[in-house]
Amino acid sequence: MGIDMTGMNGPLIVQSDKTLLLEVDHELADACRKAIAPFAELERAPEHVHTYRVTPLALWNARAAGHDAEQVVDALITYSRYPVPHAMLVDVAETMARYGRLRLEKHPTQGLALTTTDRAVLEEVLRSKKVQPLLGERFSPDAVAVHPSERGNIKQLLLKLGWPAEDLAGYVDGEHHPIALHEEGWTLRPYQKEAADAFWNGGSGVVVLPCGAGKTIVGAAAMAHAQATTLILVTNTVSAHQWKQELIKRTSLTEDEIGEYTGTKKEIRPVTIATYQVMTTRRQGTYRHLELFDARDWGLIVYDEVHLLPAPIFRMTADLQARRRVGLTATLVREDGREGDVFSLIGPKRYDAPWKEMENQGWIAPAECVEVRVTLSDEERLAYAMTEADERYRFCATTPSKNRVAEALVRRHAGEQVLVIGQYIDQLDELGEHLDAPVIKGETRVRERERLFQAFRDKEIQVLVVSKVANFSIDLPEAAVAIQVSGTFGSRQEEAQRLGRVLRPKADGGGARFYSIVSRDTVDQDFAAHRQRFLAEQGYAYHIIDADDVGEENPAK
Amino acid sequence: MKGKEFTEWLRGRSDEQLRALVTARPELVTPVPANIESLAARASSPSALSRALDRLDRFALSVLETLVVARPYPADHDSLRALLARASYGTAGEGGDGGDPALNGTKLEAALEAALERLRESALIYDAPIRNAELRDNAEPRDADADSVVPLPAPGVPEALDPPAGLGPPAAEVFRHHPPEQIEAMLAGMSPGIPPETPSETPPGMPPGTRAGTGIGDSTQRNGGTSLERLTARLSDPATVAHLIEEVPPQARAALKDLTWGPASGRLPNARREVTVATARSPIDQLLARGLLGATGEETVTLPREVALVLRGGRIHHDLSPFPPEPAGVVRDRGRADRTAAGQAFTFTRTVEELCEWWSTDPPGVLRAGGLAVRDLKRVTQVLDVPEWVAGLVVEVAHAAGLVAAGDGEWLPTDVYDSWRVRVTENRWVELAAAWAGMDRVPGLIGERDERDRPLNALHSDLRRAGAARVRAQVLGVLASAAGIAPTVESVLAGLAWERPRQRVADLDRVVEFTLREAEQLGMTGLGALSAHGAALEAAPGAGLGADRRRAAAESLAPLLPQPVDHVLLQADLTAVAPGPLTTDLQRRLALMADVESKGGATVYRFRETSIRRALDAGQSADELIAMLERHSATPVPQPLRYLVTDVARRHGRIRVGTASAYVRCDDPAILDEVLADRRAALLRLRRLAPTVLASRTSRAALVDSLRAMGYAPMAESSDGDVLVTRADARRTEGPPITRAPAPVRPEADVVAAAVRAVRAGDEAHLARRHPERAPEGEVPRSPSSATIEALREAIRQGSRVWIGYLDSQGHATSRILEPARVEGGYLTAYDETRATIHRFALHRITGISDPGRDSPSRD
Repeated sequence: MGIDMTGMNGPLIVQSDKTLLLEVDHELADACRKAIAPFAELERAPEHVHTYRVTPLALWNARAAGHDAEQVVDALITYSRYPVPHAMLVDVAETMARYGRLRLEKHPTQGLALTTTDRAVLEEVLRSKKVQPLLGERFSPDAVAVHPSERGNIKQLLLKLGWPAEDLAGYVDGEHHPIALHEEGWTLRPYQKEAADAFWNGGSGVVVLPCGAGKTIVGAAAMAHAQATTLILVTNTVSAHQWKQELIKRTSLTEDEIGEYTGTKKEIRPVTIATYQVMTTRRQGTYRHLELFDARDWGLIVYDEVHLLPAPIFRMTADLQARRRVGLTATLVREDGREGDVFSLIGPKRYDAPWKEMENQGWIAPAECVEVRVTLSDEERLAYAMTEADERYRFCATTPSKNRVAEALVRRHAGEQVLVIGQYIDQLDELGEHLDAPVIKGETRVRERERLFQAFRDKEIQVLVVSKVANFSIDLPEAAVAIQVSGTFGSRQEEAQRLGRVLRPKADGGGARFYSIVSRDTVDQDFAAHRQRFLAEQGYAYHIIDADDVGEENPAK
Repeated sequence: MKGKEFTEWLRGRSDEQLRALVTARPELVTPVPANIESLAARASSPSALSRALDRLDRFALSVLETLVVARPYPADHDSLRALLARASYGTAGEGGDGGDPALNGTKLEAALEAALERLRESALIYDAPIRNAELRDNAEPRDADADSVVPLPAPGVPEALDPPAGLGPPAAEVFRHHPPEQIEAMLAGMSPGIPPETPSETPPGMPPGTRAGTGIGDSTQRNGGTSLERLTARLSDPATVAHLIEEVPPQARAALKDLTWGPASGRLPNARREVTVATARSPIDQLLARGLLGATGEETVTLPREVALVLRGGRIHHDLSPFPPEPAGVVRDRGRADRTAAGQAFTFTRTVEELCEWWSTDPPGVLRAGGLAVRDLKRVTQVLDVPEWVAGLVVEVAHAAGLVAAGDGEWLPTDVYDSWRVRVTENRWVELAAAWAGMDRVPGLIGERDERDRPLNALHSDLRRAGAARVRAQVLGVLASAAGIAPTVESVLAGLAWERPRQRVADLDRVVEFTLREAEQLGMTGLGALSAHGAALEAAPGAGLGADRRRAAAESLAPLLPQPVDHVLLQADLTAVAPGPLTTDLQRRLALMADVESKGGATVYRFRETSIRRALDAGQSADELIAMLERHSATPVPQPLRYLVTDVARRHGRIRVGTASAYVRCDDPAILDEVLADRRAALLRLRRLAPTVLASRTSRAALVDSLRAMGYAPMAESSDGDVLVTRADARRTEGPPITRAPAPVRPEADVVAAAVRAVRAGDEAHLARRHPERAPEGEVPRSPSSATIEALREAIRQGSRVWIGYLDSQGHATSRILEPARVEGGYLTAYDETRATIHRFALHRITGISDPGRDSPSRD
């Protein structure tokens, strides 16, 4: 990095709360983005200034990826517009130095050992009451035996103590099983290949790709690397089907080689797809399906949607540290703040593609988000004012005024594939009736669901009304318009998922539209503000219109 | 005798030299001494000497000590240099020069000359003709011609330096209280191999005045020599001592070694034991028996000076360096260090401003014992988003700069703050940095506990530490000498130890550490190295911060500061990013309509419904807000933001609330229906007056709050229907005038000049035994008091005389001829020629002033 930015005109501004502001229109913005991406998490990406955050986890991720403090400091100083506070530089160096002082290594006689290059750190860690029970004999001043079953727990604890251990103990190979990618009529996109390679070289870890970027294929590529029996954990049954079909289509695997382990089927095959739900089902206080983890000598475990990984799975994962693990997710942000557990149990971030870049390259469809504000009728307002607090959201989210606007929007997009998404079944049924469209909800049978999805794909059906069951991992390639009539309050995650429905590239290359219908001056509007902020932070074009304008807007625009 | 000689020497100094003396030792002229004689007396007083010695660096002090200790006494220039040279390269070769003697010799010579000049300037040494020196000391005759002079320590210096160079007292002192029999035993015990004592030889081991037999009046045995005299004579011979040391066992030599470089005394039970060489058992006994150690108390033994000098191998000091130690630390790129420091300077200034702005509206209380409550400091930590020690520093510096003060039981910004606030950043920083450098408190101690285990609060007088400002100045001095290097704490401490070896400051290590981290926080240093603007402010220890110095600092800082920007980047996620410090006007406007989300090089503002409403409440209209945003945005105003502003404005003020025992009115009857229908409105006891008006028996404020809680945006109305604008008032207090710590301030040049002139005048008068002049006849001059002060100042500047009319303490009008020296605190110090003394005059009693030359009797 030979550029000297002494003239105070770099693209980066360092804030005192350890966020980095990147001015995207700056000529050096791209170079700067590349330099800071390894150690800073992109937090917000609105149109002009992107916000990155430097956290200890992000710095340790960078260390795990082979970057050193010198590079980080250099990147900050090179691109910063203003002098970087010395305290911040010192802090970066100190934080990064904490990673790898402790290591988990294989030991010929002790099995697994916690070793250190800094005896004082080991002493400090050994004094912790929580760590002590996990450790065995201290067979040398710089090494302590660790029981192999505590490999995950000790990593979790050490991270909490601020001394994350580098796991060099390696992995079991698992039962060999040939898997090859079947590139016919499609090829692995460059970033997908990079992601899979990065994971494989790192051993275990998380790949971060935006919705619609083909995470399933990255999973398949990872399996092709491993050449071993694989356990895939996904969020729900529909998603499990999707994975299965995708694997059959993209790899040398046949239907017989892939098992589904769900509420209805319990197949264990060389490649087994299980849902989080079934794994976390408890009967009489015990997890009934834990044996699945030991059912075969798995060589690879794939976690889909890591940001949704439920807590019990974390605990189970703690015991699986000797197996390779790959996590796939659109975001490392967890609403429950357990990013640290993802880091210590699944692994550090191995690949991260800036999402706007993928859109620019045409891998995902550009989307336009429109919030439609509906003014409630006087009667509705009166009724709203009298509603109990806990019923208010439901009331304003399902007002008849909204339905009328939804119908108007569907009419405007006649001829396009339209999804109407909602939270409340009554409302959806009513809408389905008015629009003369099928409704998919929790009680819809899987077979029926898949039939409707296929019909939608084949454009036999143009409008589909779906409840939140369709939130996760369904693949609707040709949905060009999504209309959201109600949601789970202000959940950012749900917003990302729903948006993902329309982000798949369209055959005609056209852009996607995402409407949210919101009741003005109600809590609905407050929740919408949350989601609006999230979308704008993700860099989507966002604007607000009044319901009265719906009729006049030119849909071709 | 000696005092007289010193006085004469002092009198012989030029005015310029006297001014230098007064500048270096300002305490000599507070108050101004009447004449040179009293100036000399004051300069020789123990307290004044102690302060002067405290200011010496290690080399100058060592030169002085060498002068006091050196034998033969007085040491001439060559022997002085030889002694120092040995000490300087001491460890290299015993008694010889190590390294490159020629080069070192030249350097040493220069350093020695400079040190002697400094000592002379401070009147710690004076030049005496050799003839006189010999007379006093009976030293062996020299062939020097009578005109040549030797430097002598000023009177009082040897006493003030006790013990010099860590040496113990001379043998005569050590053995003074030993019974003669014991001394005889010692003499007898000295083995036969030792050359016989030579009583005729002058004992050169003693400073003047302490020579055996002269000071203590045992003159009875003068000629034969008392046993004490003979003992000291023996010990004064280095060969004898060396021989004695050879005799004792190695353990005993080791014990001696421990005492060699001081402290010269050690503890020993039953020190006054009676031992002879024959009966000596322990190694210590061996030493006591030979007089190599002497008991100076029941449990104390001391190494006599003569023995120590032999042990030191002809050196007086151990590895003495004529130059300060080289600073050790990381080398920093100057440009980068400066920029980092400037960034920090900017941040610090802004943090102080932020604190004051915040305290303007929400001031914390003053504790009963003074100071700021721990809880309030915690809040500062949170609001300013800084670590606790930085919060303490910010508060203390703001206080020291006079920006905040206690008023009405609260800590409030002062009127000084208002004038500070409008200045440019670099000048604001200079004020803060100067206040920090001069403050007598140690903010680093905040949060610790005092000796009674009570917490030390910020802004409390308990934080005062004598010497805090001095240490800060010295640390900055060391930093300045280490240009481009970020010195380690140890290296700075080593530097201080060289600069001020006699300085005693409690917890020096920690104060230095605090100073270094505070300097970094303030932006005096960047990356640990002194910045250019910091260097401009850094003053040689003891010097004040003149206006030119401040200007230089501001000038070098200004180009490095981020330039204020007058635009922001507006984004669809309802944030505005100011990519640098905003112009004050824009910053205020934005702060009104958006909340600050993140600070640093840039500022991120977030627009919220509440923040927009705040701006609307402050009387702005939606159009004005949008126009303002359009004007200052580098990019188009995003549609969602525009929508937010209009949407809030649409709702804002739609519901209006009056004072007349509270009413609610609204153009939209449906809203009032809505309000009335809301169950929560029951508590408000609303009654519908008209389709568009509700009345309430609740107070207006409660009504507004409740309606807001119900989700409306009501607006208060005055009784005649105008919209009430609500905005928090910024508060101020009077505040005491800023007091700058006077300690390290070097007196202004004109004051020094005046003081010297006054002393001279007094001295002339004293010498001439001038009779008081007749009071001038004629009309006592009258003039307005402002003219009086002006005329006095002018007279001080020119050194001329004035004729004044003065009301004495009994109220009698008198008439005097004065030579004014200085005006200070409402008093004039002047030489009164009519009374022939220095006198202080109350300015308000001076009735008039005029030029004595024209209409008063002259001095003849």
